[in-house]
Amino acid sequence: MAGLQLKRVAKRYGATTVIHGIDLEVKNGEFVVFVGPSGCGKSTLLRMIAGLESASDGDIVIDGNRVNDVSAAQRGLAMVFQSYALYPHMTVYQNLAFGLENLRTPRATIDAKVRGAAQMLRLDALLERRPTQLSGGQRQRVAIGRAIVRDPTIFLFDEPLSNLDAELRVQMRSEITALHARLGTTMIYVTHDQVEAMTMADRIVVLRAGSVEQIGTPLDLYNRPDNRFVAGFIGSPQMNFLSGRIATIRDEGARIALDAAPHAASDAALPVRVSTATVEQRVLLGIRPEHVTIGAAQAGSLHVTATIDRVEQLGAASFLYCTLSSGERLTVHASGQVGYTGGEQMTVNLPVSDTHLFDATDAETAVALR
Amino acid sequence: MASVATMLSARRGRGKADWTDWFSYGYLLLGLVLMFGPVLWLVLSSFKSAAALNEFPPHFLPYGQKSVAVAGHETPLPLYLVTLPDGATRELAEVRRIGIQATLVDPNAPDREYKINIRDRKPVRDLQFATGNYSEIFAKFSFGTYLWNSVFITVVATLITLLFNAMAAFALSKYRFGGRDAVFLLIISTLMIPPTIILVPNFLVVSELGLLNSLWGVIWPAVATPTGVFILRQYMLTIPDELIDAARMDHASEWRIFWRIILPLSAPALAVLAIFSVMWRWNDFLWPLIVLSRTEKFTLQLALNAFQGELTTQWHYLLAMTVVTLLPVTLVFAFLQKYITTGIASAGVK
Repeated sequence: MAGLQLKRVAKRYGATTVIHGIDLEVKNGEFVVFVGPSGCGKSTLLRMIAGLESASDGDIVIDGNRVNDVSAAQRGLAMVFQSYALYPHMTVYQNLAFGLENLRTPRATIDAKVRGAAQMLRLDALLERRPTQLSGGQRQRVAIGRAIVRDPTIFLFDEPLSNLDAELRVQMRSEITALHARLGTTMIYVTHDQVEAMTMADRIVVLRAGSVEQIGTPLDLYNRPDNRFVAGFIGSPQMNFLSGRIATIRDEGARIALDAAPHAASDAALPVRVSTATVEQRVLLGIRPEHVTIGAAQAGSLHVTATIDRVEQLGAASFLYCTLSSGERLTVHASGQVGYTGGEQMTVNLPVSDTHLFDATDAETAVALR
Repeated sequence: MASVATMLSARRGRGKADWTDWFSYGYLLLGLVLMFGPVLWLVLSSFKSAAALNEFPPHFLPYGQKSVAVAGHETPLPLYLVTLPDGATRELAEVRRIGIQATLVDPNAPDREYKINIRDRKPVRDLQFATGNYSEIFAKFSFGTYLWNSVFITVVATLITLLFNAMAAFALSKYRFGGRDAVFLLIISTLMIPPTIILVPNFLVVSELGLLNSLWGVIWPAVATPTGVFILRQYMLTIPDELIDAARMDHASEWRIFWRIILPLSAPALAVLAIFSVMWRWNDFLWPLIVLSRTEKFTLQLALNAFQGELTTQWHYLLAMTVVTLLPVTLVFAFLQKYITTGIASAGVK
């Protein structure tokens, strides 16, 4: 078991920089998830930690030792690949034993460890099979087993569940979480699926275009996103973003006038630091679909009139897809079943306490105003 | 067996045979006769005695004259079908022949002699496989030595070819280094140089190394083949890099990755190259002819050639030897071809 530190780690291919100086500290035993859209560099970062890619700049420190120049084999990590990368010509047993054989482990020890891991992962009956004779979930377990038998200091997972069907993915998700609870080993997990990140992680690292956007616990990211990107990436369905401007700024905060309701400034103030916000500044107001309420205007809220385009009834919940007078779209998540149909107009409340305010002057970063 | 019958009676569509069916079968039959006819002719001829080979018109099957043991005669006598003056025909054994008159006896009653004009007798013939052609080449010539030389060169050169070319292909397909593509192009471009051009330089090198009249002089210049590197590299490109990454995470050294991961997974391509290499080395004639000049170092191909150089050619031995020479390549091909198909079938799944 070991902790990991990244210090200004960067990766360049020729003139292209794909990782822009990342700082990160992973504590011993922590489950950290790297999440981000495809091409954000999360897999590259993982491969750099593994030692399969060299770092162009910065230090990678495992257990206090700088390992930039240590080969992948010597770092003592184990990795589970997206395609599982099982050796197709070897049986499950040989796949599990290969790493230990390379370490010249005595045969009896290999046998004990392989059988132990196989039992833990319910692979005992499959040891003599070849990978091609296994189902997706079984292959996945073999790949994890291959990592377990070597007692690695850190487990690395590179999108391990993306080749599985939805049901199996949920099951394997809890199996990996249970495995982490049982082994207590540091795990770093890469995914593009924010649900996986939210359900499994102790801490999430949100990456975009080779830079860290935010690091925090799942609820941190959900409740206090640092910028529009994180706000939009975490949570499903996506957070609604409505553009507007700051109408007034007082000590208790700013009042917002939305483009969808330009003459009615919010009757409650959003807390912002006066030093970072100015009157008439363009802003984006973010609100999650589950926080929008339908019905008569309530105090402490912004009210807008919405036209319903489409209603999705899931039984326990309903999703209403609406258009505002400004042309912006708004998704509403109502619990239970609703009586609305497409084409109807309704008033929706955006409770100020649940909104997030982002600086719209720089649309690319859109930093949260607090 | 049933599948063979189905294959041989396959028709276009389900109804009666179309003219295209007749055409196809005719074409295929022509191909079969053209390709396999000479081989069959060779094999059957190799079982003929020297006398039967010189007969005109030639027979397809190895016929020989029947002979029979007759009491009072030490050696078996040749049997003839004789037309007696009274018009009856009998099978008689010839005792002697003077001019146009032959003296024959009945094998069952050897006391009575018949004197017959040789035009009235015809030899009685039956199938006789002259297996002596085969047993004698081992006894009369140092055929075993030639066979050993050929086998040694073929096996050793093929093993070294597979190893060296696989190592080159591994580096060219799985490592990123400056000039990799240039090196690959350079290797491939040597395909454009005809072997005859480099015959003299090769000879000089081998001669300087003191490898003339040594089997290694035939082996070393042949082991690095651009074709082999090309086949193996193209195949290795299809092996996912993640497997190599996984092996690296599994503490495997680069040599171990090559030996335990890359080589087994390249088996189908290695089988193809093995077939090629065995055929090249076994049938190689020009280069061994140049390097090997001492009889005891001859390969089978050189020995076959030497047989023809005499004033008379002992065809019955030459043909038998040719058949023996063909056999190993045929066997290797038959065996490895089966292996290729199974190899592709199992490697086709990710």
